[in-house]
Amino acid sequence: MGLDIIVGIKWVPNTTSVNIDPKTGTLIREGIPSVVNPHDLTAVEMALRLKDKYGGTVTAISMAPPSAISGLEHVIGMGVDRGILASDRAFAGADTLATSYVLAKVIEKIEKYDLVIMGHETIDSSTAHIGAQVASWLKLPYIYYATDIEYEENKESIKVKRILENAYEIYRIKLPAVVSIAMHTFEPRRIKVSNKLKAKLENVIEIWTSKDLNLDINCAGLRGSPTVVSAIDFVPKVPRKNLIFQEKDPKKAAKWLIEKLLEEGLIDP
Amino acid sequence: MSSETKVRKISRIEDILNNDVWDVDYEPHIIVDYTKCKNCEWKPCLRLCPAECYTMVGDEVLFSYEGCLECGTCRIVCPEKAIKWSYPKSGRGIHFRFS
Amino acid sequence: MKDIGQRFDAIIIGAGPAGSTAAYHLAKKGYKTLILERGRVPGSKNMFGGRVYIEPLKEIYEDFEKKAPIHRWVKKERISLMYDESATTIEIESTKSTSFTTYLTQLSQWMANQAVEKGAILLSEIRVDKLYRENGVFKGVVVEDERVLADIIIDAEGINRLLLEEAGIVERLSPDHVALGVKEVIKLDGKNINQLFGLEDNDGLSWVLIGDITKGIPGGGFIYTNRDSISLGIVLMLGEAIKRIDRHIYLLVEEFRNHPLINKYVRDGRIMEYSTHLIPEDVFALRPPKLYYNGLLIAGDAAGLLLNQGYTYRGVDFAAYSGYLAAKAYDYAHNNGGPTEENLREYTRLLENSFVMKMLKKFSGVSKLMKKERLFKTYPELINIMAGKLMHIEYDSYKIMEALKEAKKGRVGWISLIKDLWEVSRKL
Repeated sequence: MGLDIIVGIKWVPNTTSVNIDPKTGTLIREGIPSVVNPHDLTAVEMALRLKDKYGGTVTAISMAPPSAISGLEHVIGMGVDRGILASDRAFAGADTLATSYVLAKVIEKIEKYDLVIMGHETIDSSTAHIGAQVASWLKLPYIYYATDIEYEENKESIKVKRILENAYEIYRIKLPAVVSIAMHTFEPRRIKVSNKLKAKLENVIEIWTSKDLNLDINCAGLRGSPTVVSAIDFVPKVPRKNLIFQEKDPKKAAKWLIEKLLEEGLIDP
Repeated sequence: MSSETKVRKISRIEDILNNDVWDVDYEPHIIVDYTKCKNCEWKPCLRLCPAECYTMVGDEVLFSYEGCLECGTCRIVCPEKAIKWSYPKSGRGIHFRFS
Repeated sequence: MKDIGQRFDAIIIGAGPAGSTAAYHLAKKGYKTLILERGRVPGSKNMFGGRVYIEPLKEIYEDFEKKAPIHRWVKKERISLMYDESATTIEIESTKSTSFTTYLTQLSQWMANQAVEKGAILLSEIRVDKLYRENGVFKGVVVEDERVLADIIIDAEGINRLLLEEAGIVERLSPDHVALGVKEVIKLDGKNINQLFGLEDNDGLSWVLIGDITKGIPGGGFIYTNRDSISLGIVLMLGEAIKRIDRHIYLLVEEFRNHPLINKYVRDGRIMEYSTHLIPEDVFALRPPKLYYNGLLIAGDAAGLLLNQGYTYRGVDFAAYSGYLAAKAYDYAHNNGGPTEENLREYTRLLENSFVMKMLKKFSGVSKLMKKERLFKTYPELINIMAGKLMHIEYDSYKIMEALKEAKKGRVGWISLIKDLWEVSRKL
């Protein structure tokens, strides 16, 4: 009965607020609080809507240090049933390949699931790799940019609506499958007292270390990460001009805007 | 992202606010009834909202909730009682760290 | 609306100093205690000037001195009267200290952790929408479409007290009863701070500045040294500010920071945070008619339990102590037949017998005094001009009375001057 869904979430620094130290050129990380990656909240909302409609369970998984428990509590507060945090020193320093490997191992261990839902990408690295990589590790079909999912119980499949630039595609895929949700598809629902209380009191969050997972430690963490960051460059700060055109007629306003953009060489005539 | 705010000169409010952290809610926690602003000559919100969430665009007040520091000043200084004010939900909004 | 399965002895609204202290003492006594905090973590919505008085906190938390997040012990106090580009300053230095600087964001988190360690359940990211009342008895709170019930509700929601207003207990805050505080926290190297202000180790400075930095609006500026930052800001009496502010309020902070006598202290720093908060000012006028109702107690800023000393506030220790007494009052009521209004009256008795009410009464004239423009404009001017005449000697030298007479010319008469002096000495 229903769908057993796994959702991947990442506990990320709130990058909307990261400033750069001009002396060292590095990010000022002091005191930057973390949030659940906003695109993952969209995925959680999708999963909860499916649960509301068809029944079943939603399990959130994440790979992070123990502080990410707050992130799992946040989504459990929204209505997720349980959280699993893969947390081990051996997982540190992972790129997307090593991260997706560990997440795939977590999913394998959960065993009983129909669908894995991911956010489209994260706000702190924007690679959009994890969904595809998890699907490949698990050898499951993968669809991305999804905006809606319908469950076809008899056929043991789902219908996925996928957004393109100027069209939708609808796919039917056999379960289990991995789907990532297009950003901004849904606003996440509110946190409820009863759910948050559950997160605090009912042992619904488990921490799994490398010992709990059947994995090759050489594929996890820094050792399993072939990616090398060779340099970080900052986009130079362009002083803003703060032009305000106070005109109520939209046609005149549009004309003004086009003129200005032409003047700045930002669009071609 | 931006570089640091200069402390040796008067900075713009945007640059000062850039040092703060928000998880902005998708639903505004403050609603302004602009029709009431039309009768208000005084408009204390413009100067007293510490985050300058209230600005004039042409001859109209424009409010944006994203940079709100949740102090509650606008609500009580508004002579027209035009502001429906509450706090953001689900942990959203300003996140002070060093205050 | 549905009731959640669990019932609590106490629900505390707000994990600030008042709420967490109440929760700590209730949980310690074994009451099933739930704290609801709207911020992502306790403290994330809190802000204050920068200094906490320690004595009352030592009484209510074990080993407070050793365990709490204390930045610096205030051993140097400065009060400056500012006019134009000069300042007349009184500096008091001592080897002993009864107050410390910190970030309220950190201290709030620490206090909430103490409560959790004693067994209180803390739920953050929960904004209470409404107090739930049945037949005149407060029985719980409403969040979204759920109701949580408890024997007692302790409302420590803070200065804006939207919940008390919704419940019809208080009116909307009046700008005449509050002050608005705005501050910048500026990152500086700790050694640099010590050098600049002549401090050693973790000694701290508290500096209050009165005069034309607030452009004649009653209020003042403040500077506190933290471990490796300074808090710099202004406070304005909001009712007066509405009438008289002639520029955006953030500019007053910016101009203060850029004042030639101030900028030298911060020029190597960078702004870490900009924050703001309303402060109870006329605490008698804004206090709810009662602080106890059937099933409800009110603590901290929401109750107006803050001491306005005129040149500075005592908020955190007053709030925390009121939370402590609220917990005590509930315990008393619980052991005497339940949290009826009659039993919870114990809260007021405890407050009356503590330093809280004694101090509030002692300083009861301050708020009125603080609305006198002369105090914030004329006298700082007068004193600086007088001091200038005494010190800035070219050919002619001035005698003190001669300088005073010159300085007060066109500013204030002798009678007003003497009257004001008398009033200040009586009320502060």
